[in-house]
Amino acid sequence: MMSWLLAAKVRMDALAADMAQAPLEWQAWIDALAISLMSGTGVRAVTYCLILLLIGGSVEWLFWTYAYGPLRALQATLARSAREALALSLRRLLLLCSGVLLFTGASIAASAVLSWPEGVQEAVLDVSLWLMVLRLAWAVAEVVLAPGRSARRLVPVRASHVPWLMATVVLVALLGGAARFLPDLVEQIGQAPHSAGVLRLALATLTTLLLLVAAFGFMGRPPRLAAPHVRLPAFPRSFPAAALVLLGYSVWLLGSPALSGVTMVLAVVLVLQMVLRDAVFYFWSARWDMGAGLAGAAATAVAANQLLPHIVLSASRFGVVAIGLGACAIALDTPLAELATGQGPLVRFGFSLLGVAALGLLTNLVWIAVRSTIDRRLARIGPLDPHGEPNPDARLLTLLPLLRVSAAMVLVVLLVLSSLWAIGIEITPLLAGAGVLGLALGFGAQALVRDVIAGIFFLAEDAFRVGEYIESGTTTKGTVERITLRTVALRHHNGPLHFVPYGSLGTVRNNSRDWVIEKFNLPLPIDVDSETVRKLIKKVGESMLQDEEVGHMLREPLKGKLSRIDPGVKIFRCKFETVPGKQFDVRAQAIKRLEAALKAAGIGFADGRQTVYLQRGAEPLLIEGARPA
Amino acid sequence: MPSKTLLRNLRLLSGLVLMAFVIGHLTNLALGLHSVAAMGAARWLLLDPWRHPLGGGLLALCAVVHTVLGLYAISARRSWTMTRTDVVQLVLGLLTPPMLITHVVATSIASDFDRNFQFAYGRMLAVYWSFAPKYAFQQLFVVMIVWIHGALGLYSWLVLLPVWRRIGGVVLPVLFAVPILALLGFAESGREVLQRLESDPAWKQLIIDHLRPISALLEQTESAQNRVVLGYAAVVGLVLAVMLGRMLHARSQPVRVDYDGGESAMGRRGLSVLEIGQGAQVAHAHVCAGRGRCGTCRVQVLQGAGSLSPRNDLEEATLARVHAPPGARLGCQALVLGPGVLVTRLLPAHADASAAREPADWVTEGDSGQLEPAP
Repeated sequence: MMSWLLAAKVRMDALAADMAQAPLEWQAWIDALAISLMSGTGVRAVTYCLILLLIGGSVEWLFWTYAYGPLRALQATLARSAREALALSLRRLLLLCSGVLLFTGASIAASAVLSWPEGVQEAVLDVSLWLMVLRLAWAVAEVVLAPGRSARRLVPVRASHVPWLMATVVLVALLGGAARFLPDLVEQIGQAPHSAGVLRLALATLTTLLLLVAAFGFMGRPPRLAAPHVRLPAFPRSFPAAALVLLGYSVWLLGSPALSGVTMVLAVVLVLQMVLRDAVFYFWSARWDMGAGLAGAAATAVAANQLLPHIVLSASRFGVVAIGLGACAIALDTPLAELATGQGPLVRFGFSLLGVAALGLLTNLVWIAVRSTIDRRLARIGPLDPHGEPNPDARLLTLLPLLRVSAAMVLVVLLVLSSLWAIGIEITPLLAGAGVLGLALGFGAQALVRDVIAGIFFLAEDAFRVGEYIESGTTTKGTVERITLRTVALRHHNGPLHFVPYGSLGTVRNNSRDWVIEKFNLPLPIDVDSETVRKLIKKVGESMLQDEEVGHMLREPLKGKLSRIDPGVKIFRCKFETVPGKQFDVRAQAIKRLEAALKAAGIGFADGRQTVYLQRGAEPLLIEGARPA
Repeated sequence: MPSKTLLRNLRLLSGLVLMAFVIGHLTNLALGLHSVAAMGAARWLLLDPWRHPLGGGLLALCAVVHTVLGLYAISARRSWTMTRTDVVQLVLGLLTPPMLITHVVATSIASDFDRNFQFAYGRMLAVYWSFAPKYAFQQLFVVMIVWIHGALGLYSWLVLLPVWRRIGGVVLPVLFAVPILALLGFAESGREVLQRLESDPAWKQLIIDHLRPISALLEQTESAQNRVVLGYAAVVGLVLAVMLGRMLHARSQPVRVDYDGGESAMGRRGLSVLEIGQGAQVAHAHVCAGRGRCGTCRVQVLQGAGSLSPRNDLEEATLARVHAPPGARLGCQALVLGPGVLVTRLLPAHADASAAREPADWVTEGDSGQLEPAP
């Protein structure tokens, strides 16, 4: 701690000394420069610089005589989809950047041929690189932001922000390039370390101010594409961004440029992660579907349910993290050899972080894939009517949410464990501990586990679904109303609701599957003609098929045949087949119709009266009320 | 109102004469890559004709004509919509006269003072490289400015001509090579001269003796030079004021140009169709940047032809050259004077200089001007 404070003090003193001594040193340097410029050396340097400009300019001009036509064609092409817009913009960027690179390459290559006065070539190289950075930043900003051409814009920013954003990007590139090249130049060639220090301070301060203005100007109210009805309280993005910028500046001021660089990289990565979702989903927004007429919110909803935007989003998030880590490595001056071989604690930590990020994004992707598939399926099934017909999708409605929760849990556990493993924390003891704990819990919750596992098998084997009438044993019977992980709720036809754990369900008799055969007896007097009755029953059966009320419930029509002859009674056995649960209605209807049909045919039902013949000799004794045989 | 074609040809011709002078000058400088002696040896061919009263007179006349016509063209501007090349041309063109004036005055004084001095190329170089580097910088920048201005002008004229196909491959490298070689020659000869200054004190003394009275004279003429530059600045200010006045003129009279694709642009009365379209970022081909040379901005007027200014001679000639259909107009020459017009672009927005060179390849009746994206 003390050493840090000491270092900060030293750094502050150095800055103060720079401030105090810079003006004199600067004056001396300018004078020396003026003297050396006003001589043959100066003339030569300026002449060579002009030659480089001419050579670079000529090469770029030559390039544009060929490339200008394609560029204009690209500019005049209207993009009809997001991918096309991106492709067109990338091609434009390629053309613009090629021009810049040709200019820089040609002038730098030409500079190797000339015999420069001492120190000038370094300056020229630095300045041309600076110029290149500036122009590349400009080209990228122009392609991405497309000032004045909203149809070509690749990011969702407000039109009024575009010129300012553009200016910010160019200015930051200008200042950043200056900070990278100028102070070193002043220090090495001008031998003016104090001036270089002041220059660094000035550039860092200016950049910080610019970034602060940008943070408050552009991040205050982000252009949300989210649906208006999910108005979450907006997180104040500008404040943490500004705080990060200030933190980076303070760290730099206190004497740790490397740490400050890491802070700034972190800030940029954070900001990018914050805006990346909107930026990626922008490509799937309705803006690109000409004439679709979807509002921005609806479009985002569309995008949120597609897998591709999420893949792209995850990939770009990972890309940003990877580039950020690379930038951190550069800022910390990590030797390239360490980077290549993966040696060194920091490098290893960086790679671990990268691995964790990749795992997280992969998990996220899997989760989104699972979730969106399940949600789509659920949406297609629609809500279930608990009092309607037993639905074959009912099981899905039960299982899918269960599956979603289980998938989330499994993914989180896997992510946590593998992240720990990727960071290098040993997870075997953890797993072993969890195993012991699981054993203890398992003994305690034996019944619970039995129920859950039995339930899984019941559901997997499709033993019953919501809305089906099942019986288990003798007393537990009813319509399945709800299925949970441990129990099934059965509504008895008298009203009570049974909650039966799967473990004690035992044998299940499902009365609601496929079909039901219902049989009943029809006792008729002994003297009826069996064939006539059979035909009559068959006729009734056929007429029932035509009935509006019960016709659709029948699978096999009513049929009957003589099955037994008892003393004084012919018993006809009738049977029909219906869809499950409808047999009672159909039976009532059948008996009603049979009764009417028998009556019409003059056949009565068998009565329970017995005929007793009393005989004296050969003469039967007639008793009133008895029919003759 | 002088004929537009005449003015254009006059400006072109004077520019060509000036360009010939500059090419000679720079070629002579490039000979410094060989030796200072070679530079002196080639003078009679490359520089001396311009020192003859006839050549000098022609040069001065052309310089004046070109400057005046350039200033006139600036004052005749109607809007800010300029291509990048146009801006470069304008700025460099305005910068040239004040930067050249010191060179002209210094060399003429020096040659009046001692006719022999001027002829010795080495002495002049010694002045630049050793005694007065200020003039060297001035010269270097003048070379850059004049050359870029001239090369841009020459290129944008030549590239529209059918002959460009054959000569383009030669002319373009020459345009690039001449100033580069000249600067290299300047640097090489400078090195030679500096060596001689060190090894030959008598020569050095001779130059110093000659230089003293000349620099005294130069100091005397400095105020006169300043006055000339000031006067020039006043003229430029006047020209810019006229341009500004034109731009602000008729600001309150908006007119409208509709394009066939559904795009539309608002502008003020008196602007050309092209200028109004450019102001609203409508993609509209204009290879020659509105000079009426290339014909790529030609449009077919569907409605409101009466709102446009009548055709001028330049427009007639260009339209005839590019085989424009009857009733076509040049977007850069047709000024919108009425409430509005509906036009259709006859060439796609990506038409390049070849559309002016080989107009037959680009005749597309009723082209909407928008590229169909690839399926």
